[in-house]
Amino acid sequence: MTSRRAYAATIAIMAAVTAPCLLWRSRLTTVDVAMVLLLGVVIVSARHPRGPALLASVLSIAAFDFLFVPPYYTFDVHDGAYLLTFAVMLVVALTMTRLTGQILEHAAEAEDRARRAAALAALNAELMEAERPAEVLATLERHVAEVAGGEVCTLTPRQLDADPAEWPPATRELLANTPERVVARQVYEDGRTAGLGTARCTDADVLVAPLASGRRLGVVVVRPEADRPPTPGEIATIEALAEHAAMAHERTVLAEQGSRARAEAEAERLRSSLLSSLSHDFRTPLATIEGAASGLLEEDGAVPPGERRELAGSILEESRRMTRLVANLLNMVRVETGALAVQKSWQPLEEVVGVALLRLEEQLARHSVEVDLPPHLPLVPVDELLIEQVFINLLENAARYTPAGTAVAVRAWETDGAVCVEVADGGPGIPAAEQELVFRKFYRAVRPRGDDAREAVAGSGLGLTIAQGIVSAHGGRMWVEPRPEGGAAFRFTLPLSGPAMPAPPAESASRVS
Amino acid sequence: MTRPGPLILLVEDEAPMRRMLRATLRAHDYQVVEAGTLREGLAQAAGRNPDLTLLDLGLPDGDGLDLVRQIRRSARTPIIVISARGREHEKVSALDLGADDYLTKPFGVQELLARVRVALRHAARTESEDPVFESDGLRVDLEHRRVLREGQEVHLTPTEYKLLATMVRSSGKVLTHRQLLHEVWGANYEGQTHYLRVYLAQLRQKLERDSARPRVLLTEPGVGYRLRSPD
Repeated sequence: MTSRRAYAATIAIMAAVTAPCLLWRSRLTTVDVAMVLLLGVVIVSARHPRGPALLASVLSIAAFDFLFVPPYYTFDVHDGAYLLTFAVMLVVALTMTRLTGQILEHAAEAEDRARRAAALAALNAELMEAERPAEVLATLERHVAEVAGGEVCTLTPRQLDADPAEWPPATRELLANTPERVVARQVYEDGRTAGLGTARCTDADVLVAPLASGRRLGVVVVRPEADRPPTPGEIATIEALAEHAAMAHERTVLAEQGSRARAEAEAERLRSSLLSSLSHDFRTPLATIEGAASGLLEEDGAVPPGERRELAGSILEESRRMTRLVANLLNMVRVETGALAVQKSWQPLEEVVGVALLRLEEQLARHSVEVDLPPHLPLVPVDELLIEQVFINLLENAARYTPAGTAVAVRAWETDGAVCVEVADGGPGIPAAEQELVFRKFYRAVRPRGDDAREAVAGSGLGLTIAQGIVSAHGGRMWVEPRPEGGAAFRFTLPLSGPAMPAPPAESASRVS
Repeated sequence: MTRPGPLILLVEDEAPMRRMLRATLRAHDYQVVEAGTLREGLAQAAGRNPDLTLLDLGLPDGDGLDLVRQIRRSARTPIIVISARGREHEKVSALDLGADDYLTKPFGVQELLARVRVALRHAARTESEDPVFESDGLRVDLEHRRVLREGQEVHLTPTEYKLLATMVRSSGKVLTHRQLLHEVWGANYEGQTHYLRVYLAQLRQKLERDSARPRVLLTEPGVGYRLRSPD
């Protein structure tokens, strides 16, 4: 309420308590009247402490003297005893005014404190979730805006030093003029709040609070709605919010540095194992190819026809191995760098499985593969080339790690909102300790038996990692579990949500042929 | 001395690849002219009138698709494009522009020769011919609209039959999703690949011995379908 309206209300209240006394003046004693008038003072001071309450005190005595102390309608006092009454009334009125004023102030302070505590609790709850420094600053801006209303921005030291042309538009707008920029810079330098609502730099139309916890991290700039200066309570709240946000900011910066360091160490480890893997996996087939080809080029007759065929065969086999290796490495890079472009379209799984089986005919020749897909399995939104790769990698893995003559089963079923696919083998199974490890890059399980020369050809240790990466890129999950009857079951889910699929046009039931 | 074999224009920029292809084709009685660049290829296509063009889409001096367009402007001679795995879009574009078939690097000699034979056979056939297709126990007689599996009559819906007949007329050749959709459902349905997949799955249920291991109705991942060459 503006002060003019408060004074008007004071006069109205005092008039309202005086009027009935005047009406019944003949029946009331002056003591009664004094009591009623003091009641008016209490009512006013409970609503408007300070000025209006003081006015009410003065009015009450003036009205008492003018209207109720004989002679009426003059301020003259014939009975000297009334002077004592006036003095007592004044003391009582002023004391009450002061007391009610204190009570009100305490209540307001308590309310302020409660509001500040609530604002801090709300901010802290959100900051706990924040993982990146930028999130922290955005959260702070939102909460400060809730406290003070109006517009808020934060400035990092880098932004403070940068050309304002590089600031975000909101920041540029808040700090459009020199006084505001000077305040921002000064608050950053000395770490004390300044600007609107404070005693410092009052020519600026913004409030600037420091963003610091031990280290200076920047400033918060607030322009309240309609340039209403923020109250001291609001300023204290904003300062507290900024301090808490600064601590959270430091935490996220440290966390980011930590994870970056870990990622770098991981990348380093990957690079070195990639190099050693590459040098071995490429050199072996290349050496075979070179040797076999040079053998074939020898003078006619030196190498008998049977051996010539064998040499050509090993060139073919080793080149295929290298082709697979290159494809795996490329896919690995795509999975790792997030460069997998998943182009989903609705596919029958049977078709994708069919392509994988055809491509692996040779590798799976010594296993029996059983495909069990329910006839009403829905179409699945997948990238056919990528999911085909998943099947190839899982089947190749089964062929490589399970003994010849065992069965491999491909099954699928619908679960809520997804299709679950299983590639199960009848091999020795995977120990519980390795069930997560098998999906790691370059992890190669120790072969259970080495009875076959072909088994010496190891995989790249990338197949399952790639398969899992592709499934994740489809929004699914891949894991391995033991089968009750022995062997390992690789399972993955493919969510059924995807682009809309219009139904095929209706077809007449009539038959041809 | 036998009659000289068909003339093949080989457009390929990688010398070792060109050498391998040339040696293989010559060994199988084809005549070969070579081009290492798009410009050379365009000149040879116009000047030599090859019976078939073998075109690597990854050329240094331009888009191989331009050569497909250029040749198609004036001639129906078959074009087989060669491209790397993972570049299915490029293959589909070439096929939709009028190329007849494709090979994915790396490929074997058998695959190369089979594609060339099929392409030359289709080029030699007259349009009106309605062949009887026989392969892997399946017999499709387009003239009498009969489909037999192991001698047993198979009943197909009109759409299934239309799809099968379209594939029979191009047996051995790849057909893109778009080409099949256009032919069977019409121009408005060219994007609705899943219709095609559903009908193809139905056809496989009716015609293949094991629909999860198709022997006749083959999938060309990311590109389309191919009906196996007749026996």
